[in-house]
Amino acid sequence: MWSFYFHELMRSLPFFMKGVWMTVAVAGLSLIAGTIIGFICGIMRAGRNKILRAVIGVWVDIVRGTPFLVQIFIIFFILPGIGIELDAFSAAVIALSNLSASFICEIVAGGILSVPKGQREAATASGLSQYHQLRFIVLPQAMRTVLPPLVGQYVLSIKDSSVVSAIGVVDITRVGWFTVQRIPEGIMVFGLVGLLYFAICYPLINLSGYLERRMTVMTIRL
Amino acid sequence: MISFKNVNKWYGDLHVLNNINLEVDAGEVVVVCGPSGSGKSTLIRCINRLEPIQEGELVVDNMAVHDKKTNMTKVRAEIGFVFQSFNLYPHMTALQNTTIAPIKVRKMKKADAEELGRETLTRVGLKDRINSYPAQLSGGQQQRVAIARGLCMNPKIMLFDEPTSALDPEMIGEVLDTIKMLAKGGMTMVVVTHEMGFAREVANRVVFMDDGYIVEVAPPNDFFRNAQTERGKAFLSSILSH
Amino acid sequence: MLENFNFRVIWEYMPLYGQCFFATLWLSALSLIGAVLVGILACSMRLSQSRLLSWPAGIYIESIRSTPLLAQLYFFYFGLPSLGIMLPEWVTGVFALTLNSGAYYAEIIRSGIQAIHFGQIEAGISSGLSYFQRMRYIVLPQAFGMTVRPMLGQAIVLVKDSSLLSLISIMELTRAGQLLTSERFMPAEGFLTTAAFYLVIYYLLKAFSNWSEKRLIFKEAF
Repeated sequence: MWSFYFHELMRSLPFFMKGVWMTVAVAGLSLIAGTIIGFICGIMRAGRNKILRAVIGVWVDIVRGTPFLVQIFIIFFILPGIGIELDAFSAAVIALSNLSASFICEIVAGGILSVPKGQREAATASGLSQYHQLRFIVLPQAMRTVLPPLVGQYVLSIKDSSVVSAIGVVDITRVGWFTVQRIPEGIMVFGLVGLLYFAICYPLINLSGYLERRMTVMTIRL
Repeated sequence: MISFKNVNKWYGDLHVLNNINLEVDAGEVVVVCGPSGSGKSTLIRCINRLEPIQEGELVVDNMAVHDKKTNMTKVRAEIGFVFQSFNLYPHMTALQNTTIAPIKVRKMKKADAEELGRETLTRVGLKDRINSYPAQLSGGQQQRVAIARGLCMNPKIMLFDEPTSALDPEMIGEVLDTIKMLAKGGMTMVVVTHEMGFAREVANRVVFMDDGYIVEVAPPNDFFRNAQTERGKAFLSSILSH
Repeated sequence: MLENFNFRVIWEYMPLYGQCFFATLWLSALSLIGAVLVGILACSMRLSQSRLLSWPAGIYIESIRSTPLLAQLYFFYFGLPSLGIMLPEWVTGVFALTLNSGAYYAEIIRSGIQAIHFGQIEAGISSGLSYFQRMRYIVLPQAFGMTVRPMLGQAIVLVKDSSLLSLISIMELTRAGQLLTSERFMPAEGFLTTAAFYLVIYYLLKAFSNWSEKRLIFKEAF
């Protein structure tokens, strides 16, 4: 029986590959958007405007304080109610971008604040503009603290993308869920699902660890 | 009390202790000095086997430290060690720092250990800081707690590894005074330090090290007035000029 | 949307939400206790000299961290029955949450232990404390002090992760929102109320985390 199911599972591999593609698409798009939004918000969060800082703080708290599953449901079920029609894929990308952006925002803000105050003062003293201070003095130093947790956050976001299967996006997890209805060997089916995620995430986890070790001795060129 | 016989030690290819011979008698105060990287910290750390030696014999209080079979817990209980960076336990008060080893190693009753700890902290001038945490103490006070922590084990030997190097200048005096008090009380001590005034006042002998060798051993007055080797003279002029 | 917001229905469902709120709390608490115990065990195995102990712990930690919780949950939910093990849903859910967070706790505890300055251990050696005594009185209390914040952070993650249990039909906060959506078709009311309850837990844990940080007087010395 077992070998029969294994055969069946092997025949479903193309279906699983479609799932992998979907996971990569959802996570990839969300990470690009999340990184851009996260950096902008993070820079503002570490900036001087108190109102902006407070608003971003509340947003971060709300996203951090509620489960991603609930956020997806809110975006998928409630936005259409106020006139924004969304398919499951777009809702998934919006939700995951929002989630990633909020975490990246905190990582970036933390990195900027970890740069000693004297660095900014020295830059001001030598007449660099606000933008140039940020671009050439603060951000390059902040990147040292930012990069390892940033890659770590990418891993978390890829794993969190599995939750979008709950609104019907056919990613790796959803493919597993379909397959297990047909091939009732949960260990085997979700073992394969796990293996596929592992193949995507494990190199990134190691990259994050490697960066953490490297960053203590290296500065980044922006 | 402490006896090095042909002791050698390597870190990989680096020969950090080169054929060391040194005897320290009971009640003697020996100051070890030398440029950084000369092996003086390694020398003192070998005495309670924080660093193992690879060759030679090292006997402390009739116990063979070079022998892997020796029960080091017993040896270490007889040796107080004071670190350059204090290494106080940050999660314990000054009193708890001094009582943990007497209670756990000497199996002393808690009340007796606390009595002893209070007494010792009073001796080093910290009567009113007994319940402070290390973070609430100045560097000089932290180092005096560290000395008290060593003393509470009622050791036969006290070792000091650059006890004042991490301190602000205005705090060095209080720590040196504490160590002087011990020296006058007849404690056997080995002190790694660059404080030459202190060495002149309390040391019986000065050991000058360079490049893993013991270059000179002499009473402090002889060494300071009339160093026998070029390296010794060069070292003295480099530290006395500032 | 807001003008149509139906508070009456929320009020009507409040007893259900109350029940589900407590279900989330005790499911999370149970998993949290289990996860900390598993974490301590896995961490001490991983730091052990013996390969026989450190390898399995390493494989456990790495494979959990490289795969999504939802895939792990399905792995046990569909997998255990195919091995002939029939458990109530909530037991499977708590089991998956415990194993998942346990791996993260193992890493948190390990980073705490490894962050302790080696001078601390040398000081313990110098005063003749045994290996066990050094662990018990010097290393572990400090590791605990340093890791209170990440530990509470993981507890927040755990509470949010428990929302995934709704996908294997366990009654908890997110399930309540799903019920309001399917029975009355009021997703806004349902999921926003759910989100509000999670935020209450989040802010309580966050406040506790800040408070405990201030209480740990010795932390500046690290």
